This record gives sequence, C-alpha cells and structure tokens, in this order.
Amino acid sequence: MSKKRFIRLVSIVLLAGLLLALPSAALATSVDRMALPNLEGRAGETIQAQITLGGTEAEERSGYWYTLYKQVDGDDDRMDITSWITIEPKDYTIKEGQSITFSISIKIPESAAPGLWGATTEEAGQSGHSGERRTYLIFKDTPTGGNVYSGLLIPVSVKVLGETSPPPTQTQLLPPSLTEQPGTQSPVLKYIKNNIIVVVMGVIIIILLILLLVRMTARRTG
Amino acid sequence: MKKRILILGVLLALIAILAMPMAAFASNTGTQNASTFAGTITIVGKTAASTAAVSTITFPAGLPDAIISNPSSDATGTGENTPQVVGSSSEPVVQLYNTSAGTLNVWLDITSWTGGAVVAENYKLVPTTTITVAAVDSVLSSDGTANTVDTTVSMDTLTYKALYLKATLGATAGLSGTSTLTILGES
Repeated sequence: MSKKRFIRLVSIVLLAGLLLALPSAALATSVDRMALPNLEGRAGETIQAQITLGGTEAEERSGYWYTLYKQVDGDDDRMDITSWITIEPKDYTIKEGQSITFSISIKIPESAAPGLWGATTEEAGQSGHSGERRTYLIFKDTPTGGNVYSGLLIPVSVKVLGETSPPPTQTQLLPPSLTEQPGTQSPVLKYIKNNIIVVVMGVIIIILLILLLVRMTARRTG
Repeated sequence: MKKRILILGVLLALIAILAMPMAAFASNTGTQNASTFAGTITIVGKTAASTAAVSTITFPAGLPDAIISNPSSDATGTGENTPQVVGSSSEPVVQLYNTSAGTLNVWLDITSWTGGAVVAENYKLVPTTTITVAAVDSVLSSDGTANTVDTTVSMDTLTYKALYLKATLGATAGLSGTSTLTILGES
C-alpha cells in the first residue's frame, strides 16, 4: 500500500467514522410492551398485568395513561372494552435512567360472554394488524410545561373463557416474549441490528489483526 | 505496512467506541433492557437530521376568520424554529422522528381548543424531501374540538417526516386559546 493510498484510506475511514459517531437520535420515553393481546380470564374475574416505561431523555417529561376505542362501522359491543381497564398510577413524570412500572387491571364483567373482546382477531396484537384492533391503552408525555406530546397506542384484547376452558396460564401475565415486539427477532439478531456499526467495526478490526499476524509470521519464517 | 495496519486498527477501534453510545440510544434502550423496550415518535426541529426537542408550537395572531399557515416551534438552534412556509419552497413547522426499532403508523390527536379562538385545524404529513406543499388540507379537527386521526402514514425506524399545520381562526376578535397536539405511534 503506497503512502498516498494509505492516507486516502485513513481519511475515508475517519470521515465515515465521524458521520456514524455523530449524536443523532432525539430520545423519547420507551415502553416494554407494544401490545397486550389475548389476555385470558373468566367473566367476573380481574386480569392483572404490568407495563414499564423507561425514561431516555435528560429533560423531565410529564404524561399520563388513557384508553381509546377506535370505532369502526359494523362493530358489535365486544369491541369497546375501555371501561374494563384501569391503570395505576395514571399520571407520571419520568426522566433519563428512570423506569416506572404501572399496574393494569382488566375487570371482566359478570355478563361477558366467552370469546374475544377488544379486537376482531387473535392476531390483532401482531405488527401490521392495525385494522383488527379496537381497544387501546395509550401513554403520552411532553417536556414539562409543553403542549406537544408523543406516545404510543398499545392494543388490548381479552379472551373471555367459558366454564370448561382451562384457567389462564401465569405466563401470559408476565412480561412479553419477543414475538409481541415490532419485528420478531432473536435477541442475537436484535443486538446485531441495534449495534450494526460496532459489529461491522469489530469484524474489520479482527480481519486487520489476522492480516497483521499473517504478515508477521511470514516475515519471521522468511 | 505493519504500522499502518496497526494505525487503521486503532482508528477503527476508536470509532467503534465513539459509535457505541449512539448505537444503544438509537434503539431507545438507554439504561433499560436492550431487547424489550421500544420508543415513540418524537417531535423535533425542522432542519435536516434535527435532534432539537420541541415542547410547544405557536400560531401567530391573525384577523378574525383568518387562516394561519405560519406556526413555529420552540426548538432551539439555527433554523430550527423559523415559521412554517407553504408553497413552492415549503418548510414544515416541525419534523417527526421514529425512535422505535420498528415501523410505526402515525396517529395525531388534539384536544379541544380553549377560548374559541380556533374553529378548525388541518395538517399535512409528508416525506422530508417534499419541496412543494401546496395545501395543508388533511383534517385534524373540523370544528376546533378534540379529535384523533389515523394518518395512515407509516414511518420506518430512525426516519423523519415533515409535519405542516394550519389553523382557521374564529369570527370573534380578541380571543386566544390553547390545545395540545399528540403524536402517537402504532406498531
């Protein structure tokens, strides 16, 4: 490699590196569940679940939770279950490094017939199935004193079990599996995707080190 | 040659270390569990790849029945909070930025305008590369009251969209009011 080519290569790497390393993302509150689909319980029972928000912005943000029914022509009375849902605490303030866990209670009325409530299909919780969702839990927040909020719509649906149905498993009330997140990926794939720059740099460094070792070995034997 | 490879290696290692915090923040993991948290759509200033936070949007005063198409935000930084421009060289009032690791559909939600100052509000959500925005004509609120709108616009992870707003003032002079705007994401 000539000196000129080497300097050119270093310059390109430096420029590319600086571009990649520039701070870019404006941050916002994050959440550990993107959907609460197919929660199971019998009429008269109360389903308990938890959801956690994480603060990622240095500035304190204030917000609150509420529910929404997305009305669609032709809906029957199974679609709006907003009155079943309560979340505690309802209001919150959060800042970088903080995480707050909220308790969700879904009280199934005694009169609720067995079947799916709050969505038209059991797949409604999956990414890309927006049209099948009807009932949502929403959080939103803003820098304290602001009038512009950001938040997420979290679809909720309940499977009311019949007399002969098996009782709900404990696992459904635990934090979600990765399949409930947008984009179903294994943890390894997700890590690689989220840290692609570091992974690529690491691979290049390893290749360079191997190259260096090969050359040193060749020089010694030669 | 050996020395040069070493220099390159050190340089790349340095860049990897510098890039590390961004890689973590980009997926909104922060100090949380990296594999389970998902972020929202944030509202930022209007310049390219802006990171300037926005907490308020203000419509300037106008005559009764006027249509106000030049709101501005409180984002700090050069060119971040200049008034919105509609037309052949359009500039949005703010940009939206998807901090989530997945694609999100954008919903807009406003609360009722207080004081009766505003009787209707419209929006336009377009790619940031759109130069001409002739009309801000999608309905956010047809009568100044609370409304939630599914824009049907989707945003890929770590991408921006340009948001334009327009308010129609009421017929009575001397009024003022406020409303809150919410940007909601749905996976």
